[in-house]
Amino acid sequence: MDAITGWWDDFFWGSLVVVELFFVALILTVLFGLIGAAAKLSKNRVANAIASGYTIVFRGTPEILVLLLFYFGSAVTLTAIAQVFDPEIKFVDFPPFWAGSLAIALIIGSYATETFRGAFLGVEPGQVEAARALGVSNLQTFMYVRIPAMWRLALPPFGNHMLSLIKDTALIAIIGLEETLFVAEQAIGYTAKPFTMYILVGVIYLGFSTIITLSVMMLERYANRHLEVGR
Amino acid sequence: MSFIDFALIIDSIPKMLVGIGLTFQLLFLSLALGTALAIILLLLRISGRWYLSAPTMVYIYIFRGTPILVQIFIIYYGLPQLEFVRDSIFWPILKEPFGCAIVALSLNTGAYVSEIFRGGVLGVDRGLKEAGAALGLSATHRFIYITSPIAIRLCLPAYSNDVISLMKSTALASTITLLDMMGIARTIVAETYAPYEVFISVMVIYLIITWTIQRSFGWIEKRMSRHVRIEA
Repeated sequence: MDAITGWWDDFFWGSLVVVELFFVALILTVLFGLIGAAAKLSKNRVANAIASGYTIVFRGTPEILVLLLFYFGSAVTLTAIAQVFDPEIKFVDFPPFWAGSLAIALIIGSYATETFRGAFLGVEPGQVEAARALGVSNLQTFMYVRIPAMWRLALPPFGNHMLSLIKDTALIAIIGLEETLFVAEQAIGYTAKPFTMYILVGVIYLGFSTIITLSVMMLERYANRHLEVGR
Repeated sequence: MSFIDFALIIDSIPKMLVGIGLTFQLLFLSLALGTALAIILLLLRISGRWYLSAPTMVYIYIFRGTPILVQIFIIYYGLPQLEFVRDSIFWPILKEPFGCAIVALSLNTGAYVSEIFRGGVLGVDRGLKEAGAALGLSATHRFIYITSPIAIRLCLPAYSNDVISLMKSTALASTITLLDMMGIARTIVAETYAPYEVFISVMVIYLIITWTIQRSFGWIEKRMSRHVRIEA
């Protein structure tokens, strides 16, 4: 335990990076999931094909592979572009934070696509028809009828996606982002106490998972509050 | 900078395929061990005795709540810090990266799969178990002959998803120096600095494996529910 003294602040800042990463990736995940679901549900064949390709590729390949492809791929491309302007430049990379959050968001977004698609299909057609009969516009039907009805259905599986998301943030240490796992590696370099440091990282992630699980439980209760009354 | 280097793709695919054996070893060994562990955890969890089910729940909570990468690092880099681990009989396994990867993947997948199995067991109609009890079957017999066959069918889709995520997790073994497909791909990229060609080629190989797993489970599912289909 003594070994950790002096590293608390580093672990704190590392955890903060994880939190930032989580929220940025979460917003992108919802975005990709909604776009993907819309594309899968549309009548446009091209959109269908692209969305299917997206979910097949990102659900079928290891997360670390997607991450490394994004990071090193973007670095090679950016370096090539930069060298057109200035041949002196040796290496330009996409910041690991953004490459990482984009890669993770695309992966979890592909799972969210299926969840959202299922949830939209689960909305009772009668509700949508009723809105239409009342002369509510398409956009308003989407915002006030479809979304409130679908997110209740999507919440439990989406909670699991959020757990995968927080756990995948650990991978971004591999491309050099200073989050908790990276801090642990540095701390091990000084203290030679790998067990202590990695256990601490595990405890931090367990804390995050617990917070997410509890938040999802509360959100579920909030989402279904209108059903509670009868009970 | 040229466009796509096809010569490199053709050159690197056979090299990466050398690692497919290790990927499969990691997958099948940890799947077998993990599934066995999952059955033990399931039995403890549904035993109805709190001193057996409570530790199981803690175990599942910990292994599902932390990243698999951290688990791999704790086992491979962390455990050697502890003296009693180095003196124990498990040391020959835990000092090798392969042994550590198998242990980490099995422990992790065991936690996930036991929850899947539990879902299947809970999904079995109570009436069937009651009917078994009424016929005088013992609890063990009811579990083996009534609950298990139905539960297995119920949890097969979720189980196949977990096999796929285990397959994806085997790629993390490359972080502890193992040269599975991912490890070889990373080595080639480090040498050639051609991430697109190499990583996309290995991506295609992984996609083929995923597709094969999905199709095989689809076939098993169809076969196992053939009596249901005829009725319908």
